[in-house]
Amino acid sequence: MVSEGLRLQVASKWQESFRHLNRREPGISGLVTFSQAWNIAAEFLRPKDIDVPNDRIYNEHIKAAFDTVNRAKRLPVLLETFIEDMRKKFSLVQHDVNQFMAEYEASQNPQIVTKMLYRVYTYKQVWSPPEELGSGLLSAYTRSFRNNFFLTLPTSFSGAFRALCASTLPSSDALPEELNAEPNLWYIFNILGLTERFEGLIANVGYDYIHEYILETCTEQWAEPMLEGVKEKMSKQIIPWLLSIYGRGDLHSEEAHAMLQSVAPKFEYHINKTLCTLRTREIFDIIIDFPDSMGALHDLKECLQRVDQRENLVDALRKSNHKRLLHPGADTKLILSQYVATIKCLRIIDPPGVLLFKVADPIRRYLRERPDTIRSIVANLVGDDDSGDSLVNENEPIHPLQQTEVEDYTDQQWEPDPIDAGPEFRTNKPSDVVSTLVSIYDSKDLFVKELQVLLAQRLLAINDDDTEKIDGERRNVEILKIRFGEAALQVCEVMLRDMSDSKRIDTHVQSQLPLVVHPTVISRHFWPALEPSDLVMPGQFLELHNQYALEFTKFKPDKKLRWFPHLGTVSLEIELEDRTVEAEVPPLEAAIIELFSQQNEWSIDGLVDATRVPDKTAILKALLTWVNLGVLREESETTFSLLEVAGDVPVGSREPIHRPTAAEPELPHVVSIQQQQAEQMRMYWKFIEGMLTNLGALSLDRIQMMLKFAPGYDRSIEQLATFLEAARREGLVVVRDGIWKLNR
Amino acid sequence: MKVKIKRWHAVAQWRWDTGATEQDDADGEEGDVCGICRVPYEGCCPSCKMPGDDCPLIWGECSHVFHMHCLLKWIGTAASKQQCPMDRRAWVTAERKVGAVNPT
Repeated sequence: MVSEGLRLQVASKWQESFRHLNRREPGISGLVTFSQAWNIAAEFLRPKDIDVPNDRIYNEHIKAAFDTVNRAKRLPVLLETFIEDMRKKFSLVQHDVNQFMAEYEASQNPQIVTKMLYRVYTYKQVWSPPEELGSGLLSAYTRSFRNNFFLTLPTSFSGAFRALCASTLPSSDALPEELNAEPNLWYIFNILGLTERFEGLIANVGYDYIHEYILETCTEQWAEPMLEGVKEKMSKQIIPWLLSIYGRGDLHSEEAHAMLQSVAPKFEYHINKTLCTLRTREIFDIIIDFPDSMGALHDLKECLQRVDQRENLVDALRKSNHKRLLHPGADTKLILSQYVATIKCLRIIDPPGVLLFKVADPIRRYLRERPDTIRSIVANLVGDDDSGDSLVNENEPIHPLQQTEVEDYTDQQWEPDPIDAGPEFRTNKPSDVVSTLVSIYDSKDLFVKELQVLLAQRLLAINDDDTEKIDGERRNVEILKIRFGEAALQVCEVMLRDMSDSKRIDTHVQSQLPLVVHPTVISRHFWPALEPSDLVMPGQFLELHNQYALEFTKFKPDKKLRWFPHLGTVSLEIELEDRTVEAEVPPLEAAIIELFSQQNEWSIDGLVDATRVPDKTAILKALLTWVNLGVLREESETTFSLLEVAGDVPVGSREPIHRPTAAEPELPHVVSIQQQQAEQMRMYWKFIEGMLTNLGALSLDRIQMMLKFAPGYDRSIEQLATFLEAARREGLVVVRDGIWKLNR
Repeated sequence: MKVKIKRWHAVAQWRWDTGATEQDDADGEEGDVCGICRVPYEGCCPSCKMPGDDCPLIWGECSHVFHMHCLLKWIGTAASKQQCPMDRRAWVTAERKVGAVNPT
């Protein structure tokens, strides 16, 4: 049961409340006025359908009512009632919103959204309590209205709102002034709290705009830097747009500018990031276009300083290199030139070379595996490039090759490696391209050897009186000396001297006994091994050989000549019954036509015997040269005969294969590096064989160790492993658990 | 038919005429080496850079042949006692008998 105390308590509360509401008026008259005032005030505030005409006027009468309520300190309760009323009435707004949204979804026209927002805005204005009631009441109302409004919004609204925002953006050719067309709209956004609530969404609209703009204007435009242009454009378009949002329609308010201070950097970052992503995607083609893509490179450099996307760039470039460059379908020359371009480009983007190091590594590894890399590099060095597209800029000063330096501990200007440099990173100083290329390989000896082979081919191909070409080669060698060092190219020096000596000797010999033969006399051991040949020159050729050799020995009594009959070129004039044919041919061709002057018909086997060249294909090729020149005729598969009179080609004979009149000037057969190495390896095979015979099975390490005792052995263990693997495939050795033994 | 050679660019190699017969020469493709520096005759001695006339050979009465520079350096040392390093006979430089070894 209720205790006495509690009753007393309730009674005193009642009394107090009554006093409060009655405001010391006599009887309950105070209470009555209060309740009247409450009803008036509540009725005044109650939200109504805005389509029903309503002349709500805040007059003295109503003001008095509010005063009464306020004096009784019942205003907060009134507010609560009002808010509750509004919540109940919000179905009106809900209804309108739904209607508009349905319409929007059907038409996708952002204008509908505008209309809807205006409608909602009208609701808010009409329902708003008068300002005289104090800002507290007003803001509570606004807050509550917004909350209710947000609740009514369907999920599709954000998309619609986004479209609306986007429609307010200036199209790229619109003048900035037109932006102010609808400041009211932004005002409404603000009143309805949309700006705050959808801030991210508005920003996204801006970002998207930037994104599209950049993609549209910058894609594949690499010649000029675009970044500045884009930034300027943005400051002309996006900034006023942002101002119109944050400045509530007022472009110059202080607040708006303050707001902008915090937002603008985000947009600038976004510009950088978008451009950076675009350029990263295009990087491979940018490099191909170098140096016509300087603009893009500078942009990328600037962007990368603001945006941390270096890793992405490296990844993208490595991926596209892998996909587009480092595959068997790509020409070595192409890979090299792309590599050089990559070096140059990445040096612009990142001068310390960390990016380059990361990107270059796979390319270098790949190049190392290609058999013709050295040849291509060397060919390029000596300007023997058909494409004429030299890797090396001719205006660049020539430097000696740089070795990777050990870090200098006394360097006062030392700077730590960049933070994203890996542990293997070596700052290679901005060295020249050739050094970088040569450093693909561990030693430059391979280059020197290849150079030698190449030089030999070129020198032997030079026709005797072409001093200009020899001078050209000499110049080349001089340049290469600066790069590779004097000692390494000593051999080439001897080769060049042989050329001039030959000329001198020839002049002397000719003065004693004029002969049509003009040999190049070379020094053994200083030229790359020349392929031996068993060719014996017939008839007048042999005569000439002997005559010249005799004169040579007269001039140089302690020397004699050994001919390489298969090398060189012969200019011939073939006098036939009705015509003369002139041709410049290799010696084998000359030998064969000489044989035909002794006998009108030869079989291939007969020619093999006469020339002592066992290679029938070579003989056939030589024969075909004459067939194409119309001097010989193919009688049957294996016999050929001389055509003394042109045109008596028997009907039905094979159409001659058309070829250029002069036999293709082939480069002299110099034994290539690979062949030389294989030759050497064959010698080491003897050692390995002996070893495995005497000692039984051995491990790879052991074989390598033993071979090191052999003179001149300089193979790495990997090379040895490859060699043994090849031997295993041929069934010479077997391997089990890493132990090699002879296969018997 | 007549084949007329207008011009012939040929390639040849020079060899020292050490007196070895043509037959030997053809077989021993590697050629002989100087008994002092172990470099082929057609190469050059360790102190030279250019082979041939700049680094000639020297023939001894004892039939041994060396790079001239190598032999002179050897003769210049006291230990040599002016002897051929191969057979320890007194070194006598031989006259070249050019015609004799050149049958043609």
